Amino acid sequence: MSNIAKFLALDKVATFFNIIKQNGGIRGSLFKLYRQDELKDGTLVGEDKFGNKYFENPRYFYGRNRWVEYSDKFHMNYDGSQVPAEWYGWLHYKTDLPPHLDPNRPKYKWMKDWNENLSGTTGQYTPYSTTRPKIEAWEPKSKSTV
Amino acid sequence: MLRQPLTRALALSSSSRIAPLGVRRYAEALAQPEKVEVFIDDKPVYVPPGTTVLQAAAMVGVEIPRFCYHERLAVAGNCRMCLVEVEKSPKPVAACAMPVMKGMRVKTTSDLTKKAREGVMEFLLVNHPLDCPICDQGGECDLQDQSMAFGSDKSRFTDIHFSGKRAVEDKDVGPLIKTIMTRCIHCTRCIRFASEVAGVDDFGTTGRGTDMQVGTYVEKMFLSELSGNIIDLCPVGALTSKPYSFAARPWETRRIDSVDVLDPLGSNIVVATRTNEVLRILPRTNEEINEEWLSDKSRFACDGLKRQRLVTPMVADSRGNLTPVEWEDAIVAAAHAIRDCPPNKLVAIAGELADAESLVALKDLVNRLGGENVCTEQYFPMGGSGTDLRSSYLLNTKIANVEDADFVLLIGTNVRFEAPLLNARIRKAFIHKETDVAYIGPKVDLTYEYTHVGDSASIVKELATGSSNHEVLKRLQSAKRPVVILGADQLKTSEGSALLAFTQELALRLQDKLEDKEWKVLNVLQRTASQVAALDVGYKPGVGAILQDGPKVVYLLGADAGVVTRESLPKDCVVIYQGHHGDVGASIADVVLPGAAYTEKRGTYVNAEGRAQQTLPAVTPPGKAREDWKILRALSEVLGARLPYDTLDEVRHRMAEISPSLVAYGDVQNNNYFAQARVLAQSLQKPVSGKLDVQLKQLEDFFMTDAISRASPTMAKCVQAVLKQKQSPY
Amino acid sequence: MLSSLRSGVQGLWRASSRALQTTSTLQHDSLFVHRDTPEDNPNIAFEFTPENQQRIDALLAIYPEGHKRGAMIPLLDLAQRQNGGWLPISAMHKVAELLSLPRMRVYEVATFYTMFIRRPIGKYHLQVCTTTPCWLRGSDAVLKAIVDATGCEVGGNSPCGKFSISEVECLGACVNAPMVQVNDDYYEDLTVEDTKEIIEKLKRDEKPKPGPRSGRFASEPLGGLTSLTEEPTGPGYGLQDGLKA
Repeated sequence: MSNIAKFLALDKVATFFNIIKQNGGIRGSLFKLYRQDELKDGTLVGEDKFGNKYFENPRYFYGRNRWVEYSDKFHMNYDGSQVPAEWYGWLHYKTDLPPHLDPNRPKYKWMKDWNENLSGTTGQYTPYSTTRPKIEAWEPKSKSTV
Repeated sequence: MLRQPLTRALALSSSSRIAPLGVRRYAEALAQPEKVEVFIDDKPVYVPPGTTVLQAAAMVGVEIPRFCYHERLAVAGNCRMCLVEVEKSPKPVAACAMPVMKGMRVKTTSDLTKKAREGVMEFLLVNHPLDCPICDQGGECDLQDQSMAFGSDKSRFTDIHFSGKRAVEDKDVGPLIKTIMTRCIHCTRCIRFASEVAGVDDFGTTGRGTDMQVGTYVEKMFLSELSGNIIDLCPVGALTSKPYSFAARPWETRRIDSVDVLDPLGSNIVVATRTNEVLRILPRTNEEINEEWLSDKSRFACDGLKRQRLVTPMVADSRGNLTPVEWEDAIVAAAHAIRDCPPNKLVAIAGELADAESLVALKDLVNRLGGENVCTEQYFPMGGSGTDLRSSYLLNTKIANVEDADFVLLIGTNVRFEAPLLNARIRKAFIHKETDVAYIGPKVDLTYEYTHVGDSASIVKELATGSSNHEVLKRLQSAKRPVVILGADQLKTSEGSALLAFTQELALRLQDKLEDKEWKVLNVLQRTASQVAALDVGYKPGVGAILQDGPKVVYLLGADAGVVTRESLPKDCVVIYQGHHGDVGASIADVVLPGAAYTEKRGTYVNAEGRAQQTLPAVTPPGKAREDWKILRALSEVLGARLPYDTLDEVRHRMAEISPSLVAYGDVQNNNYFAQARVLAQSLQKPVSGKLDVQLKQLEDFFMTDAISRASPTMAKCVQAVLKQKQSPY
Repeated sequence: MLSSLRSGVQGLWRASSRALQTTSTLQHDSLFVHRDTPEDNPNIAFEFTPENQQRIDALLAIYPEGHKRGAMIPLLDLAQRQNGGWLPISAMHKVAELLSLPRMRVYEVATFYTMFIRRPIGKYHLQVCTTTPCWLRGSDAVLKAIVDATGCEVGGNSPCGKFSISEVECLGACVNAPMVQVNDDYYEDLTVEDTKEIIEKLKRDEKPKPGPRSGRFASEPLGGLTSLTEEPTGPGYGLQDGLKA
């Protein structure tokens, strides 16, 4: 039976419907396809404090079977640096234990929160010149605060 | 009373010793006694008696090395570097202090002379630190040069462990002069300058022998407006410029001859630049104007040329904030505003640093648009002959001739701070020629004694009508070469025209009686460098009446004196500012067009005596800034009222059409039509009752007076230091 | 233990600082710039006493108009005497004011002459001559006696504040060597005992008798005259008869 189904690729159809279902119906799936350029089904392994969701599905081949769906608040401006360090390891197969299940993962008070890469935004780091400009230009006082 | 320093009073009363420099027309025409023949290195030379050996040698082109001798200062004779052998003299003699005698044979290249020089040089160097690599004087140091030329080629200095080299504590004499007193060779030039030229007797020598040091003994700032000159005078690196310290070596700099614009005298300067940056400003000798001195503001305000600059055109955005734009947008914005404005509602105001080229271009532009409202910030009364006759607004006596005056009457002008080098001339006359000075105005320190007549304007009237019984009137009437100097600031008030009329009357009365028909008595001392050129070109002085009409467009050409404020203008008035500094003018502007400062353009400036001089570009204008007349030319193109000149030569041709004196560089014309001006002013002689007041009273007022010096951190430090010194008990 | 460690460290530090600073000070013992101190600053007023004011008027009258600055040294001296032997800066200012001169001109004179002392000194200024003739005659012992008796270093003030010692060069009394000058008086032909006695008297503010201590009146030979002992001859002595008339 299952062979016939396999032969007829019905299991693929089932997977397809499963994917559509898991990704929130046709509208949700179209949106996810638009945002992420792929639709996958998988088990939700965990969620970090930024709202990124981490999935795993061993049906996909190794290297594609763990992925992240970025938090909705990033909308289209997501990039790899938004994955915090503790999830990075799981995502790249350095460990199979997700951080919230890893008992050995140290948590100290002095550890800073993860910070995404701000290059290209207004918050980016720009090195300043240590030499004085030869000419200091006049800065007009702004007349209105608005 | 003894006005001269003692050395001079004792030995050097003959005037031929003091002023052999520039031959001036009014130099003492004493019956010259017969000249004596002396031989310098067997070359015969005829010199008047009383000439020193050193001066006689200079006449035949033999330069005798010297440290302490300076031609504009009293002879000290203490460095001994000028020792020369004189035949039949048992010892070498100091050439700078030795008067020539008939038949004297001087040998400046003999073995004895060379040995004497090497010996003196050895003694000087024994107690001079070998820190030339870190010394700012390096490269322009008299000690370096002369030890190369006249010193021994060997050293006997064996104390390589420095067991006892002389060391002297450094002095703090203010934010302009850095002292490294160990380098001092005790030439006392700075002491003599302070006491003779600057008139601030704060320097002296303390101690004796090897412990002698030059300094102020107590912690005291050198409170003079001419203090920077002792940096040039110092033959070694003991006194160097603090703002310029460790900045550059003299051989790295490019030197461009230029003209100063921060006071009305137009002192000649050299602008030293490196990599498109003005590093320092030095005086350039011009006997007719600044001799070889320079005021502190002109010398040290050059760092203001690097601060607060307008580097890009700006236009006010919808919120009223000035935002950088391209030239095209700014010019178009300015042209829109001007085009939408009826010609009689367009007002152009020229400021104190504007060059004659841009003044002409601006006036031509406004006239082409059909407007007539071009004016300057400084007021001058238009009654009588107004500005039609040049004699009414110039220093007719000429700066150099003031030295030959025998009585100087100052009316409402603190010459010391308004024109420091003119004051130095008056002081020179006061000290060396027994000239007396009288002064009408609030009590100020002019560095020499004067008769204070009072501060009421009515005194001028009484002097003019002859009804005064003050001794000054008698002194004026008996003077052979009197000089009357009226400060242009006094003419701002409603009584200004009457005051000018009375001054003209007084001066002309005196002048008519003089034997010397060429001598001019009347002088008006303008306050700014641009005013004379603006009046020559035909600008209306003062903005008062024009602003009352509610202009729609105000074009400020470097007008930063604050006579135009936003409050005095209608709400919808568009202000266009063209200039080089973000100061008063730019902060009220809607369109800012960045221009070039005086070190960045070839510009003509006419000084207070009516002498046209030109600045030369030492550096390029910063950023997008451009030469001022070019900006106006570009604007005229967009406005459709094209100005007919494309090159600087064509602009100057146009200037020559207006007044040939504007392009007669370096020359000054004699002014006439005094009598006509006097007749025209007759009707203006109304009673005056006000008090005369001067704007610059104290040294701290002197430093920051215009857009460049207000932007200068050095000048700000000077003000702070002077105020601090005033708190000190010394 | 700790103290020995500390002194050892100090010793080390001293050695290294000595190595850093190799220039010895061949300078004068007084400063030629002014430093404000609690005893000497321009805020301490200085006025001449009425008696001195009269002296000043008399002094100024000596000098012709226009050359009043010639009175500067007498005036400074008067100020120094009035102020107990030293010249404060406010006294210099006062003299400058009296002569209507720039203050610097007064500073120049006051620093040039070593007899104008610009630091507070004791009531008795002991100037010990140590130049060759006095030195040969034992000025070192005299100096040591003075230092021991007053507890005052050379160039300093004694703890009691009464004495100051200076080592000076020849005071021109070589025939009466060794000698000491105390304020205006010379004490000559001194022995160590004489010196101690002088100091003791000064400590009690008695004035010892100035002059030579050897019993001489002035600089005559100690054992009486060796020449010119006979009566001076009258006029015409030794003249040939032909010229006598």
